[in-house]
Amino acid sequence: MGEKMPSAPGKLTCGLCGVPLELIKAQFGYLGHKFHTEVPRCPKCGQVFISEELARGRMAEVETLLEDK
Amino acid sequence: MLDFRRMIREDCLEKEDAFCTSECPFHLDVREFVKKVSRGSFNSAYRMYANAVGFPAIVSELCERPCEGACPRRDLDGAVALRMLEAASVRYASNTKPNNYNLPAKEGRIAIVGGGPGGLACALRLANKKYRVTICDMSSKLGGGLPRAMDPGVVLRELELQFMYESYSFVPDLEVTDIEAFASSYDAVYISTGNGGADFGFSGEGPFPMATRLPGVFIGEETAGASPVRRIACGLRAATVIESYIKTGVMKGAAAVPHTRMILDPEALRHSPPVAPLDGELYSKEEAAREASRCVRCRCDACVRHCGLMAYYSKFPKRLEEEIEATINPGTLDGNGTIVTRFISTCNQCGLCGTICPKGIDIGEVLRASHEALSEKGAMPWAFHEFWLRDMDSAYAERSSLAAPPPRRERAGSVFFPGCQLGASNPEYVTEAYRYILDKKPDTGIALMCCGAPAAWAADGAKHSESVRAIREAFDRLGSSEAILACPTCMDMFARYLPGIKTVLLYDVMALWGVPAVQGGGTVSVFDPCSARHKPLTRLSVRKILVESGHELEPLPYEGARAQCCSWGGQISTTAPNYSKWLVNNRVSEGDKPYVVYCSNCRDIFAGSGKPAKHILDVLFGLGDWTRRPPTQSERRRNRVFLKRALLREYWQGTEQGDEENMRRLVINGDLREKLDRNRMLEEDVLSTIESCEKSGRVIIDTQTSRRFGHGAVGSMTYWVEYSLTEDGYELTNAYSHRMAIEMEDIGNGRKDA
Repeated sequence: MGEKMPSAPGKLTCGLCGVPLELIKAQFGYLGHKFHTEVPRCPKCGQVFISEELARGRMAEVETLLEDK
Repeated sequence: MLDFRRMIREDCLEKEDAFCTSECPFHLDVREFVKKVSRGSFNSAYRMYANAVGFPAIVSELCERPCEGACPRRDLDGAVALRMLEAASVRYASNTKPNNYNLPAKEGRIAIVGGGPGGLACALRLANKKYRVTICDMSSKLGGGLPRAMDPGVVLRELELQFMYESYSFVPDLEVTDIEAFASSYDAVYISTGNGGADFGFSGEGPFPMATRLPGVFIGEETAGASPVRRIACGLRAATVIESYIKTGVMKGAAAVPHTRMILDPEALRHSPPVAPLDGELYSKEEAAREASRCVRCRCDACVRHCGLMAYYSKFPKRLEEEIEATINPGTLDGNGTIVTRFISTCNQCGLCGTICPKGIDIGEVLRASHEALSEKGAMPWAFHEFWLRDMDSAYAERSSLAAPPPRRERAGSVFFPGCQLGASNPEYVTEAYRYILDKKPDTGIALMCCGAPAAWAADGAKHSESVRAIREAFDRLGSSEAILACPTCMDMFARYLPGIKTVLLYDVMALWGVPAVQGGGTVSVFDPCSARHKPLTRLSVRKILVESGHELEPLPYEGARAQCCSWGGQISTTAPNYSKWLVNNRVSEGDKPYVVYCSNCRDIFAGSGKPAKHILDVLFGLGDWTRRPPTQSERRRNRVFLKRALLREYWQGTEQGDEENMRRLVINGDLREKLDRNRMLEEDVLSTIESCEKSGRVIIDTQTSRRFGHGAVGSMTYWVEYSLTEDGYELTNAYSHRMAIEMEDIGNGRKDA
């Protein structure tokens, strides 16, 4: 299976609202710090999608930075 | 911790001088000098040497070599020939001209009584600093006894060379008799009249140069009978002392330099025969480099040499102590500069540092206490230990834990406490061992619990106290205060936190009671777990059992009191995955023969990296083979559940069924299983996440593949699952996780107009 690339946001729809996800700002927090960044998100209910690429890439980098801060 | 931190500051020998440097009258930094020669940097080596000794061509010929007498190689294969290396630096430096600094002239007028080696050295340094220097001598020439001690041509050329950019006055044929009257014409005077010369009644025992009772008058060592080389060294120091007097007006002689306290690790020295110069006198460049390479640059470095953590991160205790202080008490309001948080959480707590440090400084204890201090402040990232604390919770969960009296009895004489990992590795380790124990001592109950080590390592005080309390209550309930343990780490934990319970290790009682007949044999190495460091009897018991069962033993470089951690201790793999892998690779490379261990974590870690390894219970009960794949973390948890049910069925008429049926609803292929395990994601948590997403309907659908994505919190982690629906469950296609939390997802979509 390996570390696969995520599906493109355009092909993803919200299971609750049935609408395609769009890039919308979302809030994240770790060790008392807050960040905002655009991620695929349901424009109606706000459900967020985080791809493996983001989780294991940039997010993991920031997590490590904050742990070592 | 404060005691050990004070010990680091006061007792750590890392910064002590090398033996040769300590003996050298010039305090030459030999470690640095030989480094330059060994790489063929003769110019740089010469410059360093000249700065230290003033007259390199003279000192490299006349020095009595006290360094060589102090060299630890002397009794092994011959001291490093430092004077010949110094001579080589003089010979092969392409540029020996002194530096010409364009400094303004200084006001001080300084007289030097005596134009021998000491006076000249003092004059050179003061002239370098542009003081007005006058040398007086009874004779008509400079150099004192030097031209008689060596080739006068070399002496003359060296004096010309070193003074080429400096000026001074020379007053020949002047015998000073009234030093007080003489000194009144100068700002300072240095008396350097040589052996047998006048001391003007200023005798003393040093350290030299010495301040006399006359303001501004200092006296050198030569009147005490020092050699020309020592006089040169004294003259150079005198320049510093005199300059300090001129600047501050304080009459202060040289301070005594304490002798080095350095202790060299015996393993620093490997046999390396001396290099003899082909021409009999002077090294060629290549010979000098080879001889310089024989120098081990003595340093007290046992900790960095033997402790993987300090070696990997190249951190000596003194630096660590400073960084720990800055981490626990950061100097900034936002806590920036907490530089060793991760390092503090990366210690295996194996205790090797305290054993090998010649001063007994236990850095592990400092790190443990620092970990506690950071945890109390809430400054230790939860992610470092959460997985293992949840693992501990699972060991205590109803479905895995057990505290049962002996079969058909109400109270226990002893309690078998195998620890949470032995049965997780292989339930048969526990069932077979318990069967053996019951056969020999039928009044033995059993407790499937965790000793609390994960909470101690994570510095989670509350969870740890809870665990200690649970163990104590279980033993009270069973009416016993004696434990038979299978894990040396459990034994450490009992000794530290449950001193009321008497403990013995299974392997010690097996050595006593006798062991089952064993098939096999062959040559093996015993890998002592770090927690057996202070258990010499157990180490002997294990070896006795193996030898009696037909094995030959090949020792490992680190065993017994020097046992190293397999990497499990402190549960550091989440905190420092790369270091952890490096450590395992080192451990498995230390011996060619298969390892027999008596800690199941050592077994699984070594086997997981491809090293043939057996737990001693594998050997004794004919259980797993050398290459048995260690169970995944998910399997380990299932093994604990299986173990409890197996014991209940065998001894207490248990009929409990498991929830394997539910897990069968989730299909995961082999590679993905490995990925989950690598990323410390549990299959049952993956299934719970899917079920929770399906229940709430909060899924995301890929319209092209019909695959579904969802996420959920597992502890403080966020799990993501990608899966398809099957007829009776789910097929997982991917899963990953992150530590960062998605916040306010339910509140809105982040749009201002939403």
